[in-house]
Amino acid sequence: MEVTAGFEEKIVSLVAASVPGKFRNVKIVSETLLQKELGLDSIGILSLVFHFEETFSIDIAQVGIEINIAKLRTVNDLLTAAHEILTKAGRDVNHEDCHG
Amino acid sequence: MDEQKSTETIIDCHCHIASEEHVPRSFIEGSVANIASALGAQGLPASPRKLRDMFLSKMQDPMCDGLVREMEAAGISKAILLIADFSCALKDCALTIEESFKKHHDVLLRHPGKFEVFGGVDPRWGTDGVALFERSLIEFGFMGFKVYPPCGFSPSDPGLFPYYELCAQYQMPVLIHIGPTSPALNFEFASPFLVDEAARLFPTVDFILAHGAVNFVEECVMMCRFRPNVYLDISGYQSTLGYDPLAGAVKNIVSLGINHKVLFGTDFPVFRLQGEQADFVEVLTGPDGALGHLNQRERDLVLSKNSTRLLEKSVPAVVWS
Repeated sequence: MEVTAGFEEKIVSLVAASVPGKFRNVKIVSETLLQKELGLDSIGILSLVFHFEETFSIDIAQVGIEINIAKLRTVNDLLTAAHEILTKAGRDVNHEDCHG
Repeated sequence: MDEQKSTETIIDCHCHIASEEHVPRSFIEGSVANIASALGAQGLPASPRKLRDMFLSKMQDPMCDGLVREMEAAGISKAILLIADFSCALKDCALTIEESFKKHHDVLLRHPGKFEVFGGVDPRWGTDGVALFERSLIEFGFMGFKVYPPCGFSPSDPGLFPYYELCAQYQMPVLIHIGPTSPALNFEFASPFLVDEAARLFPTVDFILAHGAVNFVEECVMMCRFRPNVYLDISGYQSTLGYDPLAGAVKNIVSLGINHKVLFGTDFPVFRLQGEQADFVEVLTGPDGALGHLNQRERDLVLSKNSTRLLEKSVPAVVWS
């Protein structure tokens, strides 16, 4: 997967927006564990999904791609999933304009 | 630790079939409403319909093939499937309780040795309900009774006594939901103290307080400590991982000197949007897991031996060939 730093930054900022305040000082890198290190439970993960849809003006269900939310363990998993979704939607990930 | 884990037997005492046909639509919609409320407060366009669809996407495993795969990945050798009878409280379930029993029997036959089933019947079904429950023990080989008080009755309701008498006769355990649930139901009967009368009147029946590590914790611990026939399961600990990723709720419960009363459980598929069974086992048994400070004897009790002990007391009415 080839992504620009800009795309990664957008995704990381989405993660940061969903992290409970208790974990706000945890440094977010690609290996960071979403649940264990960032406290993202099922509502946190859903929050992330909806933030993603809003930011990229996309409806994942309409894209016709099945993302197993339960398998998203790390920030890197999230980056991969986001890349897959946007690519499947015909978007150029490396020149993606977001609305967040 | 890895060697320790690889030799451990794990029994999950609290699972359900991941299929919407066993759960009333209003129950699911109530649960989704709570999630929508949390997300809506963040200004997110999380429509209840969309959330429901996401939840239901994880409820497409009627024969438990997916659950068996997850159990194998997690090192769980056996799970107890629980049937809650919502039929008197909520009228929009696809299956009747009898049909639900039969579907669970089908799962038992499909995966020999992987599951046990505790059937549940609302006491308002009267003698028909008692007959169905006894049939579940004799014909289907079910191994216990599930009670769901939020449907609107106390776990010490005399209407349940014929079921407890059968449990005494066949030495089958009773698992009782404790604490809140879908807002479609009634929380007022969810206290563990309401189990006390039944536990006192039926001293040879073992009662398991479901979710006792996260709901009414002090009361559940007190019941376990002072009633020889009362136990608790830790299922639902995943709900605490958002603010406590190291499962402090479990670490707390196994630090109170009642490990002979604590049973591992996950409440599959309730937390399927959050992770898989292997993730939830890892949180407990991993290097810095919530069971990390226990010695092997205590770990074995919590992970399997307490469940095994309760199940082995049972007098199976059905002998599987």
